[in-house]
Amino acid sequence: MSYLNSLRLHFAGQFQAAPSTVNNDPLHYNNQTFQPSFQEPQTGNQPSQLNGWWNPNGDAAWRLIGCRVTGAYINNQPAPRADPILNYLVADSDVTVAAKLVDLDPEQQMVSEIWGMQVRICDKDGVNLLRGFYKTAAFIDIWDRAPGGGDLIAGAAYTSVLYGLEWGPIESSEFLLKLRVASAASGKLSIKFNVDGYNMDPKSADFTRGRIVGSIGPGLPGEPDHLIVGRHFMAVATGGGNFFVPQGKINFCPAVVSAGEGKIYLDLGNSLPTTTSGGAIAPVGQLALGYAGAAPETIDTIPYLGDHWYENTAGVVALPAGRNLTGEEIQKVSSNPLVLALTDANGNSTGGINEPADGLYARADQFVFRANPGDRAEARIYATRYGRPYAGARIVNILDPSQLQPSSPLGPAPAVALPDSALDFPARLTTGPDGVATLPIRVADPGNPRQFIDGQVYGIRPLLEETLAYGTNDTYNPWDFVSLLAFSGFAAADPVVWHGCLQPIFEQYANLYPVMKHFLDMADYESASANVKLLLLAFGLPPGDPNSMPVTRDLSAAKRAAIIRWLSHPGPDGKPVKGVAAATQAAPMAPPAPVPEQVTELPQRGGKAAAASRRLYLRHRR
Amino acid sequence: MIRLKSELFADLDGSVEGVRRALQNAIELEHATIPPYLYALYSLKPGTNLEIAGLIKSIVSQEMLHMSLDCNILNAICGTPKIDGPCFLPKYPGPLPGGVEGDLIVPLAPFSKQLVQDTFMVIEEPEDPLHFPVLKAELAGAALPETIGQFYAKIADQINHLPKDDFASDRNQLTTGFKPLQKMHVHDAPSAIRAINLIVEQGEGTTTSPLDPEHEPAHYYRFAEIYNGRKLIANPDTQPCAPPYVYGGHKIEFDPTGVLPVITNPSRASYPAGSKAANLNRTFNYTYTSLLKSLHLVFNGEPDRLGPAIGLMESMKEQAQVLMSTETVPGQTAGPSFEYTPVNE
Repeated sequence: MSYLNSLRLHFAGQFQAAPSTVNNDPLHYNNQTFQPSFQEPQTGNQPSQLNGWWNPNGDAAWRLIGCRVTGAYINNQPAPRADPILNYLVADSDVTVAAKLVDLDPEQQMVSEIWGMQVRICDKDGVNLLRGFYKTAAFIDIWDRAPGGGDLIAGAAYTSVLYGLEWGPIESSEFLLKLRVASAASGKLSIKFNVDGYNMDPKSADFTRGRIVGSIGPGLPGEPDHLIVGRHFMAVATGGGNFFVPQGKINFCPAVVSAGEGKIYLDLGNSLPTTTSGGAIAPVGQLALGYAGAAPETIDTIPYLGDHWYENTAGVVALPAGRNLTGEEIQKVSSNPLVLALTDANGNSTGGINEPADGLYARADQFVFRANPGDRAEARIYATRYGRPYAGARIVNILDPSQLQPSSPLGPAPAVALPDSALDFPARLTTGPDGVATLPIRVADPGNPRQFIDGQVYGIRPLLEETLAYGTNDTYNPWDFVSLLAFSGFAAADPVVWHGCLQPIFEQYANLYPVMKHFLDMADYESASANVKLLLLAFGLPPGDPNSMPVTRDLSAAKRAAIIRWLSHPGPDGKPVKGVAAATQAAPMAPPAPVPEQVTELPQRGGKAAAASRRLYLRHRR
Repeated sequence: MIRLKSELFADLDGSVEGVRRALQNAIELEHATIPPYLYALYSLKPGTNLEIAGLIKSIVSQEMLHMSLDCNILNAICGTPKIDGPCFLPKYPGPLPGGVEGDLIVPLAPFSKQLVQDTFMVIEEPEDPLHFPVLKAELAGAALPETIGQFYAKIADQINHLPKDDFASDRNQLTTGFKPLQKMHVHDAPSAIRAINLIVEQGEGTTTSPLDPEHEPAHYYRFAEIYNGRKLIANPDTQPCAPPYVYGGHKIEFDPTGVLPVITNPSRASYPAGSKAANLNRTFNYTYTSLLKSLHLVFNGEPDRLGPAIGLMESMKEQAQVLMSTETVPGQTAGPSFEYTPVNE
């Protein structure tokens, strides 16, 4: 049932996401052409003025700020007044540094993941009622939620779980007591949040912050971590906009039918447009949930324009309100697509969204992977029909780089998804009785096809055989695919030395993350060797630790091992081994000549909008 | 010289509980010096005044070591260091915890030589009867406020008289993070005394030498080096009446333009609600509070949390530099207020 449950809470507040934007341009990875100006904020919108884009000094911090519990439901009824749950906050870690927001790759920036976050429910004095560890997750379903341009208008959603739950003094909260019981079997809570209203004005007090509104409910044994096993409304793209503009005004959304409770849980949190960036939900007409088929009916309307409706419900509704589904309705919705219809005052249709005609859906649970040569990544594909496990479903897996972004405002960027021989995965799978199939992806060394960017990035799209003919007007979700970064093989010298071996790696990090200057100059041997203890600590941490270096989680296991070996095996002078510099250092090359004609959305309006505009599929469309 | 309240000494009544209370006070006192030192350190523009920054950093690092040693001793006598809590943080400007009212008022202020002389050197000043005979005479008939060195001496004396079974053989010891900690496992009176001696000698030197056991100038003399602008060296003039040390080493340059124009004694109220400085300050304070919570766990049986604590310290540095580059009024930038902030809202 996940957070789409009769027992759930909602919260609202701000998030902070402060990535370094120097790495937004793939060509900035090239040490030979890197310019000092790439670490400066952009001064204009021409390619020659882009510099390090809008936040070159970002430290990748991801924070929850001022998030308050705005609603809590027990059996779909508001928690009793005596329950202190509504006085509590949803906060991030109080014993570690901030979590980190991390792109998979400069050529796949559309699956930014949150790493190393703890989520707490606490009182205003910081007393913890609950602490859980957030399972790393990427955003999905990014769309043009508000009018305007750039990243400001974007909305997106994160779905994941909290594990390692630590409960505090919850005796006075009936809600939390019930939540503890309901999550005991899985040891997990389901958490979903929607982000929008991102602020990119460096002069603003809210720079790098935005609105976050979310829900928490019990996780149940056997549930996937990042996906609702339920009903999925599929939007159809207009083809315009920055990210995704649904023809019917409503973005992709999930629902769960609980026959036992006589309710349909519907999550509209990332699906209703707003009047402004981070503003009120836009009035788009009367919104009603019903079902299609031979005798379509409406089940209930949704009061989405009520005061603080979005913040207080996170867009989650249990329908029909005030009654339960009748036996006939339950029977009808189990075999007909659900429909969300928008109508104007005259009852004329103004938009909407529905399940595909056959109620089919398939998606990978975890959909972002990093792999070293020899690794086997496993994506679990969940197939459903009308929300029920689709046993024996035939899944076709295709290499699909169409949503990757191999371009740069500064010139030709390395190609993606080549060589395809580096990945080996079955073209076809069949789901088991539980509707689940495991997609094994064997990863070989891709070589060094991108030269100055380690490894290669790929996209694999699992599709139900019945829905293979996806296209411009079909109901498919462009964001539903597996992204995989395959690291290049790497053989370090023995002993590992700075010059000619690690220096280029460290120089690239120093280039791309100017924030490190607060701590050390990573491009400088003396500075690095003066900070051996700190570097050993940070490079030795697992990627799930918020202090793990590199912050970008884009260092192969082989390179990490070489760095640790270098740091922990000093030479006779007690310092890490320097080696010998090449006799003549090549003079820095001139920066690449800008090719503005390739740019459709310049980064003045944001990193995600710019990346989205560089997707291969748009190039092909042009 | 900081003079401590007589109540602190009164706690030391010969009981193990009294020694525990005194050690908790010592922990709070050691900690209380760190925010003012860090504030001055952070106010130095990156890349400038490097030697001064290095000296202050080395002192801060040893204050953290001293806090750790105090915690190890307290743990060894089955006490519980309390580091997380709103009362743990002193208010700045104000006296150090346990300091005599009306005595030294410690501010959060940008680096200046005046600050070093008027505050930092006073905090670290050793008791020297030869230099302060009048002061001692004045105090003879008063409430007998005494020095940090004497406070530690009394703690050491009472530890020496504790029964052996007041000590646990291996309880919540932190043995990593600082090199001396590896050899400072506290499990009995002699090992506790060794830890106290290191604290006192690093802070004040000995009665005969300004150098600590690692042959570095004690804190007072390191600050004096900064103030005098020269390193302390053995006096080349070896005549019998000549002082054994002089501030005659290489110059320690101070570039006043390398100090950020940060606010003195900021508090939450210094920044308008919803302003950029207020937001950055709150997040800094949340990080600092997280550090205290983290250290509380480190010193209460979870030493593996030292790594995350170090991460928090590094994060504070970055955040402070951003805050101190944020102009609040023309010509003045913000600074972290070091206030207990358990939630970031």
